[in-house]
Amino acid sequence: MGRHLVFLEQREGRLKDASLDLLSRVREMAGLRGEGPIAAVLAGPVDEGMLPAAAGTLYHAADPSLGLYGREPYAALVEEAVRREGAAEVYFAEGALSADLAPLLSVRLRAALLGGCGGPDGCLRPVYSGAALAGFRPDAEIRIHSVASSAGRQERGGGEPMRVVELPVSAGADPGPVLRELVMRVGLADVGEARVVVAGGRGVGGAEGFRLLEELASLLGGAVGASRAAVDLGWRPHAEQVGQTGRSVSADLYIACGVSGAVQHLAGIARAGTVVAINTDPHAPIFAVADYGFVADLHTALPAFIEAVRELRK
Amino acid sequence: MEIAVCVTLVPDTASVIGFRDGALDTSRISEVLNPYDEYALEEALLMRERQGDATVRVFSVAPASKKPLLQKALAMGADRLVIVEGPESCDPWQTASILREAFRAVYGEAVPELVLCGRESTDFRSGEVPGMLATLLGVPSLSGVTKLEAAPDGTLRLEREIEGGLERFEARLPILLSAEKGLNTPRKTSMKGVMEARKKPVEVLSARDVPEPRVSLESLRPAERHKECRMAGDVRELVRLLRKGEVL
Ligand SMILES: Cc1cc2nc3c(=O)[nH]c(=O)nc-3n(C[C@H](O)[C@H](O)[C@H](O)COP(=O)(O)OP(=O)(O)OC[C@H]3O[C@@H](n4cnc5c(N)ncnc54)[C@H](O)[C@@H]3O)c2cc1C
Repeated sequence: MGRHLVFLEQREGRLKDASLDLLSRVREMAGLRGEGPIAAVLAGPVDEGMLPAAAGTLYHAADPSLGLYGREPYAALVEEAVRREGAAEVYFAEGALSADLAPLLSVRLRAALLGGCGGPDGCLRPVYSGAALAGFRPDAEIRIHSVASSAGRQERGGGEPMRVVELPVSAGADPGPVLRELVMRVGLADVGEARVVVAGGRGVGGAEGFRLLEELASLLGGAVGASRAAVDLGWRPHAEQVGQTGRSVSADLYIACGVSGAVQHLAGIARAGTVVAINTDPHAPIFAVADYGFVADLHTALPAFIEAVRELRK
Repeated sequence: MEIAVCVTLVPDTASVIGFRDGALDTSRISEVLNPYDEYALEEALLMRERQGDATVRVFSVAPASKKPLLQKALAMGADRLVIVEGPESCDPWQTASILREAFRAVYGEAVPELVLCGRESTDFRSGEVPGMLATLLGVPSLSGVTKLEAAPDGTLRLEREIEGGLERFEARLPILLSAEKGLNTPRKTSMKGVMEARKKPVEVLSARDVPEPRVSLESLRPAERHKECRMAGDVRELVRLLRKGEVL
């Protein structure tokens, strides 16, 4: 019986990196505290060879009906795993799924819900557009942590696959909203999950100008992000917006091109690693939160930068 | 049809979030309706326009003194406002419980057909109240909705963004939805709307039997954001700096 239970998220049969990173972080923490082994729970079938290697039990409901997210069946599964394992700490990688599922579970399990925490160990979260850092204390027998991913890679570690305990599907009375279709974008990585984000703002000048950013992003294996100005002008989809009313990035490298660095934008990069800013205005606020800066017109700087990166990759 | 919208007030993002003597300096903060709640309210108003016969009631857990700020929701077009006075708390579980009680006081055991909330409040960004409230009300819910279409047979077609893609759902009323940016464009308030808002009914309730918090604020400190920025003179130097910093 483990104290720690990690929810593993799959989409189209592939486990999410964020889940696997979280599993490693929790395993490491539990190891240090002498509280291992840990357990995990997984809804839906996954591809051959996908199951993670970690000592402990994996509660798996492999029924194909759980391939797509469903609030009620997923909740029932996690509740069952918590009960069987006697878990006191339940972890989710923060994202669209945890945002939907964790509040429901916290009520059903009478648990304290720690959302958007910086790590599995204690809960620190940027608040007020990143102007402050808040620490939260839980007060309940069971605690649910939704953990934001952050800059820095996680060692996965090898070893034996987990011991699998098959769980049956227990469909609730009212399934609630039914997921009919999952449409995954092809091409560039997701802005919230990518290790490198190349972001553009009003300074990019138009939808066309983002071609350069896409080129650099794909060269670095990253994603394109956008300021709200760029999104509201219709140059980029909202899914790419970074900031207070957009996504939070956890990239190791954030390259801001033609972004002024408004507080609402900075709210989204509080957890980014190295920040690089390219801007024509030497007084742009973005430089105050950047590690490296280059005062230049992005339309000439980016092609040269792309060329230089290409050279390096050769 | 009964439509409920839950709103909260947050610091205007233009206001300065500063600290004095280790505590948040509220003197320079002005409050506004949480931007996400405006998307929720707009969607409620659109639904009322489609339905014809619907009442849009706005709920907020706040001190009664905040009435003038909350009246913006009435100026946008909501029919009634319910302010629930409760303990000052940042625990979403307490807030959801207080809202649940307020719904009981207003609707009895019935539950409104449609409940709309903002995806999260921009101050603490927990985004937990909607899902908790839905569970307490015993209705299904979906968070972060970016598209809502109501088919003639009453079926709702919903969309929401997920990491790397989007999900399309089908659902029925009653339901609680939390609104994400992109769902709609909130209407501006007009002079006429503001005048009319003053005549619309405002109820003030006080929260009773508030449960113990499950999460409390342990510390709040200013975040150190300022970095020492190393400036590059040209692209070549930029690349050299980034390589030296082991970024490239
Ligand atoms: C409630 C609320 C929520 C918000 N949420 C968000 C949010 O989530 N995300 C967000 O980003 N914003 C958000 N905003 C908007 C925010 O306040 C700013 O308006 C926005 O971030 C500005 O975008 P920008 O930096 O692209 O544009 P601008 O501020 O116009 O900056 C453009 C920059 O590009 C530079 N530039 C111009 N031409 C060039 C060139 N050729 N080469 C290089 N540089 C150039 C300029 O010097 C300038 O610094 C929000 C605002 C409000 C009120």
